[in-house]
Amino acid sequence: MNTVAQKNELIFGYSSGNLTEAKSLFVSMYLYLNSVAAKNASIFDNILADNLANLDEVAPKKINYKDCINSTYNQNLSFKITKNNNPLTNLIGSIDKLKWKSIYKGFREFNISLKDSDTIKLIKMDPGISVPLHSHNGKEYILVIDGSFCDEYGEYKKGDMQINDQKIKHHPIASNKNGCICLSITERDVIFFGKLGSALNLFTFIKSFFK
Amino acid sequence: MVVLKFKINKIIMENERLIGLAIKISKNRDERAFSELFDFLAPKINAYYLKNNLGFEQSEELTQEVLSTIWAKADLFDPERSKFITWAYTIARNKKIDLYRKTKNKTAEDEDIRHFLYQNNEINDYEIELSINKIKKELDENQQKLLKMSFFEQKSHKKIAEELEIPLGTVKSRIRSTLNKMQKFLL
Repeated sequence: MNTVAQKNELIFGYSSGNLTEAKSLFVSMYLYLNSVAAKNASIFDNILADNLANLDEVAPKKINYKDCINSTYNQNLSFKITKNNNPLTNLIGSIDKLKWKSIYKGFREFNISLKDSDTIKLIKMDPGISVPLHSHNGKEYILVIDGSFCDEYGEYKKGDMQINDQKIKHHPIASNKNGCICLSITERDVIFFGKLGSALNLFTFIKSFFK
Repeated sequence: MVVLKFKINKIIMENERLIGLAIKISKNRDERAFSELFDFLAPKINAYYLKNNLGFEQSEELTQEVLSTIWAKADLFDPERSKFITWAYTIARNKKIDLYRKTKNKTAEDEDIRHFLYQNNEINDYEIELSINKIKKELDENQQKLLKMSFFEQKSHKKIAEELEIPLGTVKSRIRSTLNKMQKFLL
Protein backbone atom coordinates (compact mmCIF):
# COMPACT_ATOMS: atom_id res chain seq x y z
CA MET A 1 0.00 0.00 0.00
CA ASN A 2 1.48 3.32 -1.03
CA THR A 3 1.01 5.95 1.65
CA VAL A 4 2.34 8.79 -0.47
CA ALA A 5 -0.46 8.35 -2.99
CA GLN A 6 -2.98 8.10 -0.17
CA LYS A 7 -1.74 11.31 1.41
CA ASN A 8 -1.93 13.07 -1.93
CA GLU A 9 -5.41 11.70 -2.53
CA LEU A 10 -6.41 13.25 0.78
CA ILE A 11 -4.81 16.63 -0.03
CA PHE A 12 -6.29 16.58 -3.53
CA GLY A 13 -9.67 15.81 -1.96
CA TYR A 14 -9.26 18.86 0.27
CA SER A 15 -8.39 21.05 -2.72
CA SER A 16 -11.40 19.77 -4.62
CA GLY A 17 -13.73 20.28 -1.67
CA ASN A 18 -15.04 16.74 -1.64
CA LEU A 19 -14.01 15.69 1.88
CA THR A 20 -16.49 15.26 4.67
CA GLU A 21 -16.09 17.37 7.80
CA ALA A 22 -13.83 15.10 9.83
CA LYS A 23 -11.32 14.57 7.02
CA SER A 24 -11.53 18.21 6.06
CA LEU A 25 -10.57 19.25 9.59
CA PHE A 26 -7.84 16.62 9.63
CA VAL A 27 -6.32 17.82 6.35
CA SER A 28 -6.56 21.51 7.22
CA MET A 29 -4.60 20.68 10.38
CA TYR A 30 -2.09 18.75 8.28
CA LEU A 31 -1.63 21.73 5.97
CA TYR A 32 -1.38 24.04 8.98
CA LEU A 33 1.48 22.02 10.48
CA ASN A 34 3.26 20.74 7.40
CA SER A 35 4.57 23.24 4.86
CA VAL A 36 5.43 20.60 2.26
CA ALA A 37 1.85 19.31 2.36
CA ALA A 38 0.63 22.91 2.08
CA LYS A 39 2.73 23.47 -1.04
CA ASN A 40 1.35 20.31 -2.61
CA ALA A 41 -2.16 21.52 -1.80
CA SER A 42 -1.32 24.71 -3.62
CA ILE A 43 -0.18 22.72 -6.67
CA PHE A 44 -3.47 20.79 -6.59
CA ASP A 45 -5.44 24.05 -6.30
CA ASN A 46 -3.65 25.27 -9.39
CA ILE A 47 -4.32 22.08 -11.33
CA LEU A 48 -8.00 22.41 -10.52
CA ALA A 49 -7.96 26.13 -11.38
CA ASP A 50 -6.37 25.13 -14.67
CA ASN A 51 -9.34 22.84 -15.29
CA LEU A 52 -11.57 25.83 -14.57
CA ALA A 53 -9.67 28.02 -17.02
CA ASN A 54 -10.03 25.45 -19.80
CA LEU A 55 -13.65 24.48 -19.22
CA ASP A 56 -16.25 24.74 -21.98
CA GLU A 57 -18.03 27.89 -20.89
CA VAL A 58 -21.73 28.15 -20.16
CA ALA A 59 -22.81 31.76 -19.89
CA PRO A 60 -25.32 32.39 -17.10
CA LYS A 61 -28.63 33.71 -18.41
CA LYS A 62 -30.26 35.34 -15.44
CA ILE A 63 -27.43 37.20 -13.75
CA ASN A 64 -25.19 40.08 -14.74
CA TYR A 65 -22.34 42.01 -13.16
CA LYS A 66 -24.69 44.68 -11.78
CA ASP A 67 -26.60 42.06 -9.79
CA CYS A 68 -23.35 40.89 -8.26
CA ILE A 69 -22.41 44.39 -7.17
CA ASN A 70 -25.87 45.16 -5.85
CA SER A 71 -26.22 41.96 -3.91
CA THR A 72 -23.13 42.79 -1.88
CA TYR A 73 -25.07 45.64 -0.29
CA ASN A 74 -27.77 43.29 0.93
CA GLN A 75 -25.66 40.64 2.53
CA ASN A 76 -23.02 40.69 5.14
CA LEU A 77 -19.80 39.85 3.37
CA SER A 78 -17.55 41.17 6.06
CA PHE A 79 -14.61 39.00 6.74
CA LYS A 80 -13.94 37.97 10.24
CA ILE A 81 -10.34 37.40 11.08
CA THR A 82 -9.89 35.40 14.23
CA LYS A 83 -6.66 35.53 16.13
CA ASN A 84 -6.50 31.78 16.21
CA ASN A 85 -5.61 30.21 12.90
CA ASN A 86 -5.13 26.73 14.23
CA PRO A 87 -8.11 24.83 12.75
CA LEU A 88 -8.23 22.38 15.65
CA THR A 89 -8.04 24.69 18.66
CA ASN A 90 -10.27 27.13 16.81
CA LEU A 91 -12.92 24.43 17.05
CA ILE A 92 -12.30 22.74 20.41
CA GLY A 93 -10.36 25.36 22.36
CA SER A 94 -7.00 25.00 24.02
CA ILE A 95 -5.61 21.46 24.08
CA ASP A 96 -4.36 21.95 27.66
CA LYS A 97 -7.89 22.45 28.88
CA LEU A 98 -9.57 19.44 27.33
CA LYS A 99 -11.38 16.88 29.43
CA TRP A 100 -9.51 13.77 28.41
CA LYS A 101 -10.94 10.33 28.89
CA SER A 102 -8.44 7.87 30.29
CA ILE A 103 -8.31 4.61 28.34
CA TYR A 104 -5.46 3.07 30.30
CA LYS A 105 -2.56 4.41 32.31
CA GLY A 106 -0.73 7.06 30.29
CA PHE A 107 -3.12 6.84 27.33
CA ARG A 108 -6.01 9.28 26.97
CA GLU A 109 -8.50 10.19 24.30
CA PHE A 110 -10.73 13.14 23.45
CA ASN A 111 -13.56 12.64 20.98
CA ILE A 112 -14.31 15.53 18.64
CA SER A 113 -17.98 15.43 17.83
CA LEU A 114 -18.70 16.19 14.20
CA LYS A 115 -21.58 15.03 12.07
CA ASP A 116 -19.55 12.51 10.16
CA SER A 117 -19.48 8.76 9.75
CA ASP A 118 -15.72 8.85 10.32
CA THR A 119 -14.63 9.07 13.96
CA ILE A 120 -12.19 11.85 14.75
CA LYS A 121 -10.42 12.12 18.09
CA LEU A 122 -7.29 13.30 19.83
CA ILE A 123 -4.97 10.79 21.44
CA LYS A 124 -2.57 11.73 24.20
CA MET A 125 0.24 9.41 25.22
CA ASP A 126 2.53 10.10 28.17
CA PRO A 127 6.29 9.86 27.59
CA GLY A 128 7.43 6.29 26.91
CA ILE A 129 3.91 4.85 26.85
CA SER A 130 3.31 2.24 24.19
CA VAL A 131 0.28 0.79 22.44
CA PRO A 132 0.20 -3.02 22.28
CA LEU A 133 0.75 -4.58 18.86
CA HIS A 134 -2.42 -4.19 16.87
CA SER A 135 -3.89 -4.01 13.39
CA HIS A 136 -6.81 -1.95 12.16
CA ASN A 137 -10.32 -2.82 11.27
CA GLY A 138 -11.05 0.23 9.16
CA LYS A 139 -8.45 2.62 7.79
CA GLU A 140 -6.83 4.89 10.35
CA TYR A 141 -5.13 8.25 9.75
CA ILE A 142 -2.78 9.62 12.41
CA LEU A 143 -1.38 13.16 12.47
CA VAL A 144 1.18 14.16 15.09
CA ILE A 145 0.08 17.45 16.68
CA ASP A 146 2.73 17.60 19.37
CA GLY A 147 5.69 15.51 20.52
CA SER A 148 6.51 12.36 18.58
CA PHE A 149 6.16 8.60 18.46
CA CYS A 150 7.94 5.77 16.76
CA ASP A 151 7.01 2.30 15.59
CA GLU A 152 8.36 -0.41 13.28
CA TYR A 153 8.03 1.97 10.33
CA GLY A 154 9.97 4.93 11.71
CA GLU A 155 9.71 8.07 13.77
CA TYR A 156 6.77 10.44 13.39
CA LYS A 157 7.16 14.05 14.48
CA LYS A 158 4.88 17.09 14.65
CA GLY A 159 3.22 17.52 11.26
CA ASP A 160 3.89 13.93 10.11
CA MET A 161 1.04 11.72 9.00
CA GLN A 162 0.72 7.97 9.16
CA ILE A 163 -1.96 5.95 7.38
CA ASN A 164 -2.75 2.47 8.66
CA ASP A 165 -4.95 -0.22 7.22
CA GLN A 166 -5.77 -3.84 7.85
CA LYS A 167 -2.45 -5.02 6.51
CA ILE A 168 -0.42 -2.99 8.95
CA LYS A 169 0.44 -4.33 12.37
CA HIS A 170 2.37 -1.92 14.55
CA HIS A 171 3.50 -1.14 18.04
CA PRO A 172 3.77 2.64 18.56
CA ILE A 173 5.76 4.11 21.45
CA ALA A 174 5.49 7.76 22.51
CA SER A 175 8.70 9.77 22.78
CA ASN A 176 10.46 9.45 26.14
CA LYS A 177 10.90 13.18 26.28
CA ASN A 178 7.62 14.86 25.46
CA GLY A 179 5.11 12.10 24.91
CA CYS A 180 2.79 12.54 22.00
CA ILE A 181 -0.51 14.10 21.00
CA CYS A 182 -2.08 12.90 17.77
CA LEU A 183 -5.19 13.62 15.79
CA SER A 184 -6.73 10.40 14.58
CA ILE A 185 -9.46 9.48 12.11
CA THR A 186 -10.90 6.03 11.89
CA GLU A 187 -13.04 5.21 8.92
CA ARG A 188 -16.11 3.18 9.60
CA ASP A 189 -16.07 -0.51 8.89
CA VAL A 190 -17.38 -1.30 5.48
CA ILE A 191 -21.07 -1.98 5.55
CA PHE A 192 -22.22 -4.35 2.87
CA PHE A 193 -25.32 -3.75 0.84
CA GLY A 194 -27.40 -5.87 -1.50
CA LYS A 195 -28.66 -9.43 -1.33
CA LEU A 196 -25.58 -10.88 0.31
CA GLY A 197 -25.20 -7.85 2.52
CA SER A 198 -26.95 -8.97 5.65
CA ALA A 199 -25.09 -12.28 5.64
CA LEU A 200 -21.75 -10.47 5.25
CA ASN A 201 -22.60 -7.94 7.94
CA LEU A 202 -23.58 -10.76 10.30
CA PHE A 203 -20.25 -12.36 9.51
CA THR A 204 -18.31 -9.16 10.41
CA PHE A 205 -20.42 -8.86 13.53
CA ILE A 206 -19.61 -12.40 14.69
CA LYS A 207 -15.98 -11.97 13.64
CA SER A 208 -15.69 -8.92 15.89
CA PHE A 209 -16.14 -11.19 18.94
CA PHE A 210 -13.03 -13.12 18.10
CA LYS A 211 -10.67 -10.18 17.90
CA MET B 1 11.37 23.63 -23.56
CA VAL B 2 10.76 26.65 -25.80
CA VAL B 3 7.11 25.67 -26.22
CA LEU B 4 6.81 25.19 -22.50
CA LYS B 5 8.29 28.59 -21.83
CA PHE B 6 5.90 30.13 -24.33
CA LYS B 7 2.95 28.40 -22.67
CA ILE B 8 3.97 29.55 -19.23
CA ASN B 9 4.53 33.09 -20.46
CA LYS B 10 1.04 33.10 -21.93
CA ILE B 11 -0.45 31.99 -18.62
CA ILE B 12 1.55 34.59 -16.75
CA MET B 13 0.45 37.34 -19.17
CA GLU B 14 -3.20 36.35 -18.79
CA ASN B 15 -2.66 36.42 -15.05
CA GLU B 16 -1.18 39.93 -15.26
CA ARG B 17 -4.32 41.13 -17.01
CA LEU B 18 -6.57 39.65 -14.33
CA ILE B 19 -4.40 41.08 -11.55
CA GLY B 20 -4.75 44.49 -13.21
CA LEU B 21 -8.53 44.18 -13.13
CA ALA B 22 -8.50 42.99 -9.52
CA ILE B 23 -6.44 46.01 -8.49
CA LYS B 24 -8.78 48.41 -10.28
CA ILE B 25 -11.68 46.77 -8.48
CA SER B 26 -10.18 46.85 -5.01
CA LYS B 27 -8.53 50.29 -5.25
CA ASN B 28 -10.98 52.26 -7.38
CA ARG B 29 -14.19 50.21 -7.09
CA ASP B 30 -14.05 50.24 -10.89
CA GLU B 31 -17.32 48.77 -12.20
CA ARG B 32 -16.08 48.54 -15.77
CA ALA B 33 -13.13 46.45 -14.71
CA PHE B 34 -15.52 44.27 -12.75
CA SER B 35 -17.79 43.88 -15.76
CA GLU B 36 -14.81 42.67 -17.78
CA LEU B 37 -13.88 40.24 -15.04
CA PHE B 38 -17.47 39.05 -14.85
CA ASP B 39 -17.52 38.28 -18.58
CA PHE B 40 -14.34 36.29 -18.23
CA LEU B 41 -15.18 34.38 -15.06
CA ALA B 42 -18.93 33.92 -14.76
CA PRO B 43 -19.29 31.50 -17.72
CA LYS B 44 -16.44 29.38 -16.35
CA ILE B 45 -17.71 29.28 -12.79
CA ASN B 46 -21.24 28.59 -13.94
CA ALA B 47 -19.94 25.70 -16.05
CA TYR B 48 -17.98 24.41 -13.05
CA TYR B 49 -21.13 24.18 -10.94
CA LEU B 50 -23.06 22.55 -13.77
CA LYS B 51 -20.24 20.00 -14.12
CA ASN B 52 -20.57 19.41 -10.39
CA ASN B 53 -24.12 18.32 -11.06
CA LEU B 54 -25.94 21.35 -9.72
CA GLY B 55 -29.09 22.57 -11.48
CA PHE B 56 -29.25 25.66 -13.71
CA GLU B 57 -30.86 27.90 -11.08
CA GLN B 58 -28.50 26.89 -8.33
CA SER B 59 -25.41 27.16 -10.52
CA GLU B 60 -26.30 30.73 -11.46
CA GLU B 61 -27.14 31.61 -7.88
CA LEU B 62 -23.76 30.36 -6.67
CA THR B 63 -21.96 32.01 -9.58
CA GLN B 64 -23.49 35.30 -8.50
CA GLU B 65 -22.35 34.70 -4.92
CA VAL B 66 -18.80 34.02 -6.10
CA LEU B 67 -18.67 37.16 -8.23
CA SER B 68 -20.20 39.21 -5.40
CA THR B 69 -17.52 37.92 -3.08
CA ILE B 70 -14.84 38.87 -5.60
CA TRP B 71 -16.31 42.38 -5.86
CA ALA B 72 -16.50 42.77 -2.08
CA LYS B 73 -13.23 41.13 -1.14
CA ALA B 74 -10.96 41.87 -4.08
CA ASP B 75 -8.49 43.44 -1.66
CA LEU B 76 -7.91 40.02 -0.09
CA PHE B 77 -6.51 38.67 -3.32
CA ASP B 78 -2.74 38.65 -3.10
CA PRO B 79 -0.80 38.23 -6.37
CA GLU B 80 2.17 37.06 -4.29
CA ARG B 81 0.19 34.07 -3.02
CA SER B 82 -1.55 32.73 -6.10
CA LYS B 83 -2.68 33.33 -9.61
CA PHE B 84 -5.98 35.16 -9.86
CA ILE B 85 -7.80 32.21 -11.44
CA THR B 86 -6.65 29.99 -8.57
CA TRP B 87 -8.00 32.45 -6.03
CA ALA B 88 -11.30 32.56 -7.91
CA TYR B 89 -11.39 28.76 -8.05
CA THR B 90 -10.93 28.46 -4.28
CA ILE B 91 -13.81 30.89 -3.69
CA ALA B 92 -16.05 28.86 -6.02
CA ARG B 93 -15.00 25.65 -4.31
CA ASN B 94 -15.60 27.09 -0.84
CA LYS B 95 -19.13 28.13 -1.85
CA LYS B 96 -19.73 24.58 -2.97
CA ILE B 97 -18.51 23.24 0.40
CA ASP B 98 -20.74 25.72 2.23
CA LEU B 99 -23.71 24.61 0.17
CA TYR B 100 -23.30 21.00 1.21
CA ARG B 101 -22.68 21.94 4.82
CA LYS B 102 -25.43 24.51 5.14
CA THR B 103 -27.54 22.32 7.36
CA LYS B 104 -24.66 20.94 9.36
CA ASN B 105 -22.43 22.81 11.76
CA LYS B 106 -20.05 25.12 9.99
CA THR B 107 -17.62 25.59 12.82
CA ALA B 108 -15.29 22.78 11.78
CA GLU B 109 -13.64 24.73 9.08
CA ASP B 110 -13.93 28.46 8.95
CA GLU B 111 -13.32 30.59 5.97
CA ASP B 112 -10.62 32.48 7.82
CA ILE B 113 -8.61 29.28 8.22
CA ARG B 114 -8.74 28.69 4.50
CA HIS B 115 -7.66 32.28 4.13
CA PHE B 116 -4.84 31.81 6.61
CA LEU B 117 -3.54 28.80 4.66
CA TYR B 118 -3.75 30.91 1.54
CA GLN B 119 -1.80 33.75 3.12
CA ASN B 120 0.93 31.35 4.13
CA ASN B 121 1.34 29.99 0.67
CA GLU B 122 5.03 30.18 -0.13
CA ILE B 123 5.24 28.83 -3.62
CA ASN B 124 5.90 30.97 -6.66
CA ASP B 125 3.94 30.99 -9.91
CA TYR B 126 6.75 29.84 -12.11
CA GLU B 127 7.56 26.91 -9.84
CA ILE B 128 3.91 25.89 -9.87
CA GLU B 129 3.46 26.24 -13.63
CA LEU B 130 6.56 24.15 -14.14
CA SER B 131 5.21 21.38 -11.88
CA ILE B 132 1.82 21.46 -13.52
CA ASN B 133 3.25 21.33 -17.01
CA LYS B 134 5.48 18.42 -16.12
CA ILE B 135 2.54 16.63 -14.54
CA LYS B 136 0.44 17.22 -17.65
CA LYS B 137 3.22 15.89 -19.82
CA GLU B 138 3.72 12.85 -17.65
CA LEU B 139 0.05 11.86 -17.54
CA ASP B 140 -1.73 10.53 -20.60
CA GLU B 141 -5.12 11.82 -21.67
CA ASN B 142 -7.06 9.13 -19.81
CA GLN B 143 -5.25 9.78 -16.58
CA GLN B 144 -5.89 13.51 -16.83
CA LYS B 145 -9.53 12.82 -17.56
CA LEU B 146 -9.76 10.57 -14.53
CA LEU B 147 -8.30 13.25 -12.24
CA LYS B 148 -10.64 15.83 -13.71
CA MET B 149 -13.70 13.65 -13.21
CA SER B 150 -12.77 12.67 -9.69
CA PHE B 151 -11.44 15.91 -8.26
CA PHE B 152 -12.81 18.72 -10.40
CA GLU B 153 -16.24 17.36 -11.26
CA GLN B 154 -16.46 15.55 -7.94
CA LYS B 155 -17.85 12.39 -9.46
CA SER B 156 -17.93 9.31 -7.27
CA HIS B 157 -15.70 6.38 -8.21
CA LYS B 158 -18.90 4.47 -8.94
CA LYS B 159 -20.16 7.13 -11.35
CA ILE B 160 -16.79 7.25 -13.10
CA ALA B 161 -16.82 3.47 -13.46
CA GLU B 162 -20.25 3.66 -15.10
CA GLU B 163 -19.36 6.51 -17.44
CA LEU B 164 -16.08 5.01 -18.60
CA GLU B 165 -17.47 1.47 -18.54
CA ILE B 166 -14.64 0.08 -16.48
CA PRO B 167 -14.82 -1.86 -13.18
CA LEU B 168 -14.93 0.11 -9.92
CA GLY B 169 -11.70 -1.50 -8.69
CA THR B 170 -9.95 -0.34 -11.86
CA VAL B 171 -11.05 3.27 -11.26
CA LYS B 172 -9.61 3.18 -7.75
CA SER B 173 -6.33 1.58 -8.80
CA ARG B 174 -5.94 3.93 -11.78
CA ILE B 175 -6.44 7.00 -9.58
CA ARG B 176 -3.84 5.65 -7.17
CA SER B 177 -1.33 4.97 -9.93
CA THR B 178 -1.95 8.42 -11.44
CA LEU B 179 -1.28 10.06 -8.09
CA ASN B 180 1.85 7.96 -7.77
CA LYS B 181 3.03 9.11 -11.18
CA MET B 182 2.47 12.72 -10.18
CA GLN B 183 4.50 12.31 -7.04
CA LYS B 184 7.86 12.99 -8.63
CA PHE B 185 6.69 16.47 -9.60
CA LEU B 186 5.26 17.23 -6.20
CA LEU B 187 7.30 18.16 -3.18
